[in-house]
Amino acid sequence: MSHIHLPDGVLPVWLWASGFIVVILIWTILLRTMKKEDLTKRLPLLGMIAAVMILGASVEIVPIAYHVNLTVISGILLGPSLIFLATFVVNTILALFGHGGITVIGLNTLTFSIEGVLGYFLFHLFWSVLKRLTPAIFLATFITLLCSTFAMIGVVSLGTSHYEELVHQERGKGIIGFEFGKEKEEHHPGQATEEKVNLRRFMAIVLPLGFIGWLLEGVITTLIARYIQRLRPDLLRLKT
Amino acid sequence: MIQREALNPPLALLYKRREGYLWISSEGDLMIQLSYLDYIAVEKKSFLHRLSPKLKIIGMIVVLSVIVTVRNLPELLLLYVLLLTLYFTAKVPLRIFSLTLYPLIFAVLFIFLSGFQIFFILLILLKVLCGSTGVVLLLATTPYPSIFSVLGKILPSSFVIALFLTYRSIFILLTVLEDTQHALYLRGGVQWKHPWRSLINISNAFGHLIIQGIDASEKMYESMVLRGFKGKIHYRGE
Repeated sequence: MSHIHLPDGVLPVWLWASGFIVVILIWTILLRTMKKEDLTKRLPLLGMIAAVMILGASVEIVPIAYHVNLTVISGILLGPSLIFLATFVVNTILALFGHGGITVIGLNTLTFSIEGVLGYFLFHLFWSVLKRLTPAIFLATFITLLCSTFAMIGVVSLGTSHYEELVHQERGKGIIGFEFGKEKEEHHPGQATEEKVNLRRFMAIVLPLGFIGWLLEGVITTLIARYIQRLRPDLLRLKT
Repeated sequence: MIQREALNPPLALLYKRREGYLWISSEGDLMIQLSYLDYIAVEKKSFLHRLSPKLKIIGMIVVLSVIVTVRNLPELLLLYVLLLTLYFTAKVPLRIFSLTLYPLIFAVLFIFLSGFQIFFILLILLKVLCGSTGVVLLLATTPYPSIFSVLGKILPSSFVIALFLTYRSIFILLTVLEDTQHALYLRGGVQWKHPWRSLINISNAFGHLIIQGIDASEKMYESMVLRGFKGKIHYRGE
């Protein structure tokens, strides 16, 4: 749910352009701080984990239109620096399939990388406290997805005035612009607030669906981590 | 070439819609579509396929600029009709047309924000359709390596290598997934009737993919080094 599935041209230019600028800045800083040989050596791993994330994103569970992101487990496997680079790549390829607009790649990378980076740190924090894999990974995933969903809602809310402009631009010209249901019946000049962009309605749809998604992804990520711990515990790099 | 290895994988079995099965691929099997897109980008020969990748990417940038700046329904409709005309004259198969409609699923969420204004809904839908049709048109007529080679001239090489390796890895994982599906079915597959077992099976499949993928990435790096990889991929064109 944290992925902004918005088409191009809906978010204001300043917002998506800022997303790109921040991503490019972080990318540049990471490239400067990482050793070139290390990065070159780990690029195939990055590519492979990014491909797994794309595969996860392509499998949708229809009743709630949810797909797993696998960002938390990818963050744990790649580490906080590489997961940022991986999410940029994943969002670029997904955008090339119309899975989120091209202009929102920057913002999607930021919300996605919150999951990867925060998931990595929370997992290690919970692991050091609980010393049990199942609760550590489940809590890390659930909390991380909750945070990233709110980050996504925050991003969407930043463009509210722009959406209002889009919604109301035709009204003055009297072309189209009727509403359904209750609002249609109560359409009076003094009730402009009823017609405003309603972020609460958006949240009322996103949060319940998101909650199911967080639980689902929490369970799937936990089961994946347990599978990896059984077969290749070295990949999780857990300190005992 | 990698594209040919991935043609028509029997991956559809995994997604087969049988009674009681939960695993769903609403977007028309995105991963299968990816290999098919790749195939038609290489194999089809229309005027758009023959056009330089650079020109097509510039065209896509123009389409995006129109989508971002225009707030007028007739103009967006005109752009959509233009893109559809290109789609059909370039003989892009109808089979992948569903890819252009896929983003509509998510656009619906955003419509809730607007208070169901018809103008806003149509504006969003047209912007979505123009964007996705443009992108699918670009991908269906231009092989990925050609796109990456153009991007390599303007973007950092590390990013373009990561894009290329991810693209390559998708096809490696598709092969692994093909094997995994048999194991998955032997363990009961994915069924509504047994949600917990299904979740375990899905997760184990992903876990297996990750482990196999990591092993494959190590082998891939070794073979790249053997072939002289020093942090840069050189494209020789078609």
